[in-house]
Amino acid sequence: MPEHDVLVIGAGLAGMRAALAASRAGADTALVTKVHPVRSHSNAAQGGINAALTDRGDDWEDHAFNTVKGSDWLGDQDAIEVMCREAGDAIIELEHMGVVFNRDEEGRLGTRRFGGQERARTFFVADITGQAMLQVLYEKVLKARVRAYEEWFVTSLAMEDGVCQGVVALELRTGQLHLIKAKAVILATGGAGRVYEPTTNGLIVTGDGMALAYRAGAPLMDMEMVQYHPTTLKGNGVLITEAARGEGAYLLNAKGERFMERYAPKMMELASRDVVSRAEQTEINEGRGVDGCVLLDLRHLGRELIETKLGYIKEVVTDFLSIDLADRPIPIRPGNHYIMGGIKTDVQGATPVPGLYAAGECACVSVHGGNRLGANSLLDTIIFGRRAGEAAAAYAREMDRPSISESIIAKTQEEMSSFLARDANGDSAAKIRLTMGQVMTDHVAVFRDEAGMQIALKTVRELKARYACLAVQDKGRVFNTSMLFTLELGFMLDVAEVSCVSALARKESRGAHYRTDLPERDDVNWLKHSLVYASPEGPRIDSAPVTITQWPPQRRVY
Amino acid sequence: MHVTLQVKRFNPEAPEPKPYQQEYFLEVEEHFTVLDTLIKVREEVDETLALRCSCRASICGSCAMRINGHAALACKTKLSGVMDPHGHVKVEPVGNMPVIKDLVADMKPFWDKVRAVEPWLQPQGPEPEHEYIAPNEAMIHLTGVMACIMCGACVSDCTVLEVDSNFLGPAALAKAYRFVADPRDDASPTRLRALEQYGGVWDCTRCYECVQVCPKGVDPMGRIMALRDKAVHVGLDQTIGARHTEVFTESVRHSGTLDELRLAIKTPGIFNIPAQLSQLRWVGLRAMLKGKMPPIFHKSIPGLRHVRRIFEKVEGQP
Amino acid sequence: MKYAFFPGCVSRGGCPELYPAALKVCDLLGIELEELRSASCTGAGVLQEKNRKLGDTLNARTFAMAERLGLPIMTICSTCQGVMGQAKKRLDEDEKYRSEINQILAEEGLEYQGKVVVKHLLWILVEEVGVEKMKALVKVPLQGMKLAPFYGCYLLRPTDALGFDETPERQTSLETVIEALGGDPVDFRGKTKCCGFPILTINERNSLTMVANHTLEAKGNGAEAMVTPCPLCHLNLDGFQGKAASQRGKEINLPILHLPQLVGLAFGVSPKELGMQRHLVSTDVVITRLSARAKG
Repeated sequence: MPEHDVLVIGAGLAGMRAALAASRAGADTALVTKVHPVRSHSNAAQGGINAALTDRGDDWEDHAFNTVKGSDWLGDQDAIEVMCREAGDAIIELEHMGVVFNRDEEGRLGTRRFGGQERARTFFVADITGQAMLQVLYEKVLKARVRAYEEWFVTSLAMEDGVCQGVVALELRTGQLHLIKAKAVILATGGAGRVYEPTTNGLIVTGDGMALAYRAGAPLMDMEMVQYHPTTLKGNGVLITEAARGEGAYLLNAKGERFMERYAPKMMELASRDVVSRAEQTEINEGRGVDGCVLLDLRHLGRELIETKLGYIKEVVTDFLSIDLADRPIPIRPGNHYIMGGIKTDVQGATPVPGLYAAGECACVSVHGGNRLGANSLLDTIIFGRRAGEAAAAYAREMDRPSISESIIAKTQEEMSSFLARDANGDSAAKIRLTMGQVMTDHVAVFRDEAGMQIALKTVRELKARYACLAVQDKGRVFNTSMLFTLELGFMLDVAEVSCVSALARKESRGAHYRTDLPERDDVNWLKHSLVYASPEGPRIDSAPVTITQWPPQRRVY
Repeated sequence: MHVTLQVKRFNPEAPEPKPYQQEYFLEVEEHFTVLDTLIKVREEVDETLALRCSCRASICGSCAMRINGHAALACKTKLSGVMDPHGHVKVEPVGNMPVIKDLVADMKPFWDKVRAVEPWLQPQGPEPEHEYIAPNEAMIHLTGVMACIMCGACVSDCTVLEVDSNFLGPAALAKAYRFVADPRDDASPTRLRALEQYGGVWDCTRCYECVQVCPKGVDPMGRIMALRDKAVHVGLDQTIGARHTEVFTESVRHSGTLDELRLAIKTPGIFNIPAQLSQLRWVGLRAMLKGKMPPIFHKSIPGLRHVRRIFEKVEGQP
Repeated sequence: MKYAFFPGCVSRGGCPELYPAALKVCDLLGIELEELRSASCTGAGVLQEKNRKLGDTLNARTFAMAERLGLPIMTICSTCQGVMGQAKKRLDEDEKYRSEINQILAEEGLEYQGKVVVKHLLWILVEEVGVEKMKALVKVPLQGMKLAPFYGCYLLRPTDALGFDETPERQTSLETVIEALGGDPVDFRGKTKCCGFPILTINERNSLTMVANHTLEAKGNGAEAMVTPCPLCHLNLDGFQGKAASQRGKEINLPILHLPQLVGLAFGVSPKELGMQRHLVSTDVVITRLSARAKG
């Protein structure tokens, strides 16, 4: 039976960075990933990664303040300070690893502007920064010979007496369930975009780690904070990088106006994402949209810039809409993209559950608070991936070998068997997911209200009941994708329920959580994190204070 | 519109597992991609159909498969572009890799080859305090190769891999180029020495399949050619392949056209008796008898001096 | 129809039967040819490996020569066609590059203006001559003879240098010609693959495996002969078929015809005039079948 010191679940940027850190700290480390590492959704991040390089006169506290403001003061300022202070070294480390960052005329790292930042401090590789970083981290993992359980899907955490001692995982290739014992487990499973329909996220982004942690007793924090990215392509909802606006693209309504003037006169198209998304949605709702969208105009940037710095989005727009974006503006609209909320951790990546750590989008430290600035997510993965890896390795050094027994596999075995044993009943995982996705998009998206969120919660609970009666039609063991999707759906429904509960509980508007029935920010009562715990009676709500260090709350204006 | 997907399936758990064809007939929207259609099949018709997919936006590389016999990303392939007049589309798993189930191939051979080229930056000496200084042109050039999403399409359709699994293949070689061309990497001589061996850069048959099928414009064959060039430049010019290129070029300079006899003799080297005899026995003698030989005395083209002048002018240039 | 004729190196070298066959067929088709005698080798992709600009300059010279005659170029080799197409694309897309190269050509009094059209005889047959005219010229109908088309890589890839977007029929042009002449094209996976010629000297084992694979697959699908528009492919598929068979441990004996030979046979030209006795794999089987048909 496999056993390791540190087990990292998810091999995206946060996961691989954590695994490298743990491995370098001397821990026997392994990755468990349901797809090959380079298929991880980190590869879809396009625009860049933020850092304040002090050697060129930039100031990390400026970056930190922008992040605090971007978070609408829900971000924990000590965590934000850590992230921004360590960012400079992290960028240099990435460059030393081999990332092919863009350069200026002197051959030094080049920057572009990005949302919510007053100064250009976003480092990038054309518009494929996530992919470029992911490939390099994979190279490092190969070099370090870190063991990877590739295409193994974690179905539950292996808990004994409230302590995490490993995972139960389904080996997709054979259909066999395994217990992998570990002294410490780091969850780095990414976001939960597929809870919504449409979303920029790939099909694999199903909130696995969040649900796993939740079920194991860890709290999920700020789950109502769901980011809608301002520029997702009409039709399939694919991401169009903020870098387009960073390089100077305009947002136009049906009248050809740069409407951001009315909503964020100073930062315009580069205000924080929630502000821009709400602005766009308002334009659309008030009849100044074009076919349910607004327009992103890149024509004035010139063909050469587009081809060297924005080549991927040019490819995507040509492929899916047959438009040359050097010639015509493109239709975009706000789309589900990222979840600021996640598993509560401290600045070392530790969750309240002993032996359990988390990093990346699935975690909530919180550095993003109510709204994440663009290019801060890639930074988050690297900083807290590393910290979680180091912390988990240190913890593992002090721990005895896990004592948990293989009998724990039985529970998952039963769950899977019951799905397999049932006969088809007309329902399907696909139908449930679609209904969930649509109701979440209708009521827990850019604009929310009490009645709508109640409908969403009620529907999700009905879907959970339907889920319990699902039948998996594919009775095979080898690469049973049907079983995989069904198990993922279970995770998604948990995440959806928690998001609805959290959203209903927060009686104010802050960051991405905007309630038309409570449109003001209420620092007196609500300057705190929402927490949700699993309990036999259902989700249990709690709260946690926000850490303020240097920046007392102020009005957020762009 | 309607479409019939003709899918090559495989169930490893069947009593006698072997590939079989299954057709799916369904109604789809005009703008559907092959992936949209496969997902629709899974969600509404047959959830046992196994395939890998994730991003739907040609960045994760999961959904490479053979569509009408040629490798492509299913998410990037519009149905309307590949349907035949009867509305049929053939879908199979990628080639040159074992199949696990249906459209899911075992990419282990692919990953092993990538690993074999030591795909990590190997700078020498102490790391600078800040970033390595590097010109943006170099980084932009490398971005073109970094665009590779490791989807396997090139490897799927590589004609050399079909006959020789020892060939490193277009993806691994393009990856190797990425490091040879990186100004921060100092391992080029070692890399190139490894790459000039059997299975490396000289085994490419220049058939353009990889260039044609790459969904990201990486141009793997072009990178392999660039590696050949770099190998010769660092003095690794004694492989048969390097000599072949050199002799060919010389022949054109010498007479304006290819002198095949000269090429055949000089490439292995006139003193390489076994090679010469082997060719003579099999082909040379018979060709001579049948009158299929090129003339022993190769005629130069009229106006050869212009060709020589071009050689001088262009090769003299940097 | 008049063309500047670029015969390429191999049609007068290792495949000397191709050149007279091409001339004869063009004569029958009423295609007037003016040979570009002082044009150099295209480089075949090999020279380009060493120095791409050198290859582009040599080809630009050939293009300029044809432009000076005011004629489109006809090739009879897939490799020539492919290499020229790629050179032309690079020259046409980059004005600066083109003018650099024109400066070198200027000393010979030549200038590449970007007007020339380069077409393989195969495409000319389908696009200019047309199926109906071909059918009308057939004196010895092939009567369903099973023929395997083998294109040669450079006539198929990369598609953006071969005009496939504008003229998608090119992808199946060989089958079209076979059918027009009365033959029955045999489908097999290898028809668009590589014959292995480029690696013949470098990795003979792989090269000959490709030869064996494609010829045996075609034969297994019923082919009585294979036809190819590329003399380099012919060199491998015919010239080295014997060695490939020996390596495979299996007899092959599949006659390989040049495209103009097939056309010539159907038009009633004698096999001797088409140089069919020069092949290393005997074409007697084909000749016998056709003469039986002609008599019968």
